[in-house]
Amino acid sequence: MAIIDPKFGKKLKKYGAYEFDACYNCGSCTAVCSLSTEEDSFPREMVRFSVLGMKDDIKSSLKPWLCYYCGECTTYCPQTANPGELMMSLRRWLITIYDWTGLSGLLYKYWLVSLFAFLLAAAGVLVFGYYNDYNLESLMHYGHLFEMMAIAGVFAFILLPNIIRMWYFVILKPGLKISLITYIKDFKELLIHMFTQKRTLGCDDSVRRWFEHFILVISYLTLLFVTVFLNWFSTQYLFVNILGYVVSAVIVIVTIDFIIDRIRKKKEISKFSQPSDWLFVIWLSLMGFTAMAVRVLIDTGLLEKNVWLYLIHLIILVQWALIIVPFGKWTHFLYRSFAMYFAKLKAG
Amino acid sequence: MNTKIGVYICHCGGNISDYVDVEKVKQAVEHEEGVMVAKTTIFACGDANQQEMVDDIQKNKLDSVVVASCSPKLHLATFQAVAERAGLNKYNYVHANIREQVSWAHSDNKPGATDKAIKIVRSAIARVRVAEPLESFSINAKKAVAVIGGGIAGMKAAIELSSMGCPVTLIEREHFVGGHTAQWDFLFTSNETGKELVTRLYNEVAARENIKLYTGAEIMSQTGSIGDFRLKIKITPRYIKEKCHKGNLQKAIEACPVDVPDEFNFGITQRKAIFHNFPSEYPQIPVIDIKNCTRCGKCEAICESIDFSQKEETLEIHVGSVLVAVGFDPYTPAEGEFGYGQLENVITLPQFKRIIDLNDRSLVYKGKKIRDIAYVYCVGSRQPEGDNKYCSRYCCTSVIHAAIQVKKKFSHINNYHFTRGIRTYGKQELLYNDSLKAGDIYLQSYEDDPPVVFSENGKTKVKINDILTGKKEMSVEADLVVLVTGMVPRENKALNTLLKIPRGRDNFYNEIHMKLRPVETVIDGITICGACQGPKNITESANSALSAATKSYSYISRGELSLEPVIAKIDEEKCTWCGLCAEVCPYNAIQKGKSGTKEIAVINDPVCKGCGMCLPVCPYDAIELNSYTNREIENMIDALAG
Repeated sequence: MAIIDPKFGKKLKKYGAYEFDACYNCGSCTAVCSLSTEEDSFPREMVRFSVLGMKDDIKSSLKPWLCYYCGECTTYCPQTANPGELMMSLRRWLITIYDWTGLSGLLYKYWLVSLFAFLLAAAGVLVFGYYNDYNLESLMHYGHLFEMMAIAGVFAFILLPNIIRMWYFVILKPGLKISLITYIKDFKELLIHMFTQKRTLGCDDSVRRWFEHFILVISYLTLLFVTVFLNWFSTQYLFVNILGYVVSAVIVIVTIDFIIDRIRKKKEISKFSQPSDWLFVIWLSLMGFTAMAVRVLIDTGLLEKNVWLYLIHLIILVQWALIIVPFGKWTHFLYRSFAMYFAKLKAG
Repeated sequence: MNTKIGVYICHCGGNISDYVDVEKVKQAVEHEEGVMVAKTTIFACGDANQQEMVDDIQKNKLDSVVVASCSPKLHLATFQAVAERAGLNKYNYVHANIREQVSWAHSDNKPGATDKAIKIVRSAIARVRVAEPLESFSINAKKAVAVIGGGIAGMKAAIELSSMGCPVTLIEREHFVGGHTAQWDFLFTSNETGKELVTRLYNEVAARENIKLYTGAEIMSQTGSIGDFRLKIKITPRYIKEKCHKGNLQKAIEACPVDVPDEFNFGITQRKAIFHNFPSEYPQIPVIDIKNCTRCGKCEAICESIDFSQKEETLEIHVGSVLVAVGFDPYTPAEGEFGYGQLENVITLPQFKRIIDLNDRSLVYKGKKIRDIAYVYCVGSRQPEGDNKYCSRYCCTSVIHAAIQVKKKFSHINNYHFTRGIRTYGKQELLYNDSLKAGDIYLQSYEDDPPVVFSENGKTKVKINDILTGKKEMSVEADLVVLVTGMVPRENKALNTLLKIPRGRDNFYNEIHMKLRPVETVIDGITICGACQGPKNITESANSALSAATKSYSYISRGELSLEPVIAKIDEEKCTWCGLCAEVCPYNAIQKGKSGTKEIAVINDPVCKGCGMCLPVCPYDAIELNSYTNREIENMIDALAG
């Protein structure tokens, strides 16, 4: 027997949920949703669970991740209960639930905590620079080292345990029996969705949204590869250098387009922005921009005299790698792909 | 004997002629005895065609007419009017129904339909041949109306009648007016309180010279019929003089040693044997509840206004029409119905509304602070079994309104609604929306799987298999369980026996037709309105009251009434007064009377409705029904059988 918990709904509003309790269960949202199926029907069920405060049922559900937010449900909702944004806020809430450290919850709920964390990271970089006498060579050396350490550390200590928690909530705890062969056989689902986000194409809105997001992901991953493993800032290869320029330019262009959308609030998906959404898209943009700027100064030989630019880039990088990636919106990249993988496993 | 008959066969634009060969019908009847004109017409009811009939009648000096067309319910009056316009008596017109009874019923058999149509038209001709002209008769109508019930509907109707210049006697059984509305606090949509509304109407009633209000008054007997009703009324005294000293009276109330459950608060508080419901209750004089008074004399010693010498009075009033607005009672749940009477924090919606009104700072019931409130809907309404199958209409809105009020008035309230589907029709939907946005939680089940109220570890809980959540079992711990009770008719055995207004399966009074004649009853001159004819909210009650007032006044406004002559007629020679006819008459229209020295049955013409129930029981064939005489019926049978 499930106990009704009206407090959950109030809590969810801190994650951006908006008047979802106005829902009178007509089901129009589920009817218009082009991704909802008979077996996995949403968003009405999720709205209902949220109203009643059925936390366990939401925790064990993959449906928030199966929604790719075209916003049609919100457009057609006769009660303006905004089911689309409710699904979005459930994803934010799930991110904090999967996170074993609990830091994610603090950052999402209290913007002052986020501000403090960002300032702390910036201060850390400045202090580190101070002890290295703001020596460019030394800074760049440690910067590159930091990138590799951060990737390994964040993945090993935060992201991997969190993915395991997600797996525990949605597969193990509900008692689903899945053979190892199925795990192996369906593993390709994970990779396909991770690198293509092809489920977005099932939404009724334009292909443009998918394409923009797709090139952004590819460019981001490429930039990561180029800077960390091909050491873009020190490379001698022209191809690598140009590739770095191209992908960072793509990142800047696409993220600026996203930022403009969020300011204009014309499309359903960009009408409601939480601090986490702003931080994610702006910091991604800054990452691309500062990386490109650093390389421009390297190529023009002006970086030596403008160490401050590299310091800024490093601050952005540290904030991104230690706050947004492990605890912020970045994680949707992993959870979305794993959700598709787990969904495939559940379907058998 | 009519010998110049006009017969018109209508195509009804294909409704009839698609299945019945109307030309063939015309040819079959045009040579019938007495038929002078026989025609077919596309739409007999069309203006031009009506005029053609009038011209035919006048040109050929016809003495009777038959139109074979649709149901008489639709166009009997239309063609009677055609006959009258042409100078004929309207009872020399006979209607033959060849649409509902022929073409629509036998669309699968065209030749058979045509044959049947021919027989029906022939039988109509056979009847009209012996039809006799009849004249309607008029009776005097007393220009006054009795309104029974001084609630919202009754007061509203009385005011409306008074405005039309009609003297009104307003009769209220209780000692205070306003009915249940006086018990409610804020009302949707006006945001006026029930008390304010009652006060407003009472002041209006009191200001009208042609309204006479009796409180504590009950109808003892009723005789007569439309235009001429005589009612005997018994008036119970208040035992308190009209001019009383307020301060002393208040002390006297405090001194009264009797404590009885206060009906005004639905029994959740106690009152004295001297009481008024609330400070500005109307009329503003308290009353002594003589049934519970012990005559201890304490109040008399304090207050000189108290007067036990007042006596019951009886008076007779004479009115032309009676308007009944006796209202409803909230349904009282059975012992154990959703824990009612067994769990101490299970109450009804009316009690809950009083509790909201009575508590000021925090919501407390039986010494316990209330936070979580569960509302169980459709208690005593929409039941699969028994009398209460109907929807009580007002309760969804009322409970949602109360839930919003309780949240506004007190802090930290959680509302849980266990519904059978919300029916907040019209503007009331706004309330539902407000309540959803205020965070009220709604759960729903069907009639076959109602929620369960139970006690576990000393806590009252409500559980439901919520169909909005895939029938998952959901439960809530509630400090207070409110049973959302519907409406039942007010207990009025005496009045029911006196007035004999027919009641429906739901036990509410029945109107003749819900849409076409919504405030008339089968008893001429008696109208009904408000919640006594079915669950209504205040607005709907007031609207029906205006309608009933207008209808009642229309009976009597001219001082005389014209009545239809289609009534029973006694053959004084044949009648021996066996009394069988009087026994079966559903309208009490037949009494024993005398013709010279002989005892015979006498029909009270204004009361007779011409139903014909008395005809077959008469062993001497001494009763005839005008316009349906034996001769007419026999002729019709001959034509049909021939």
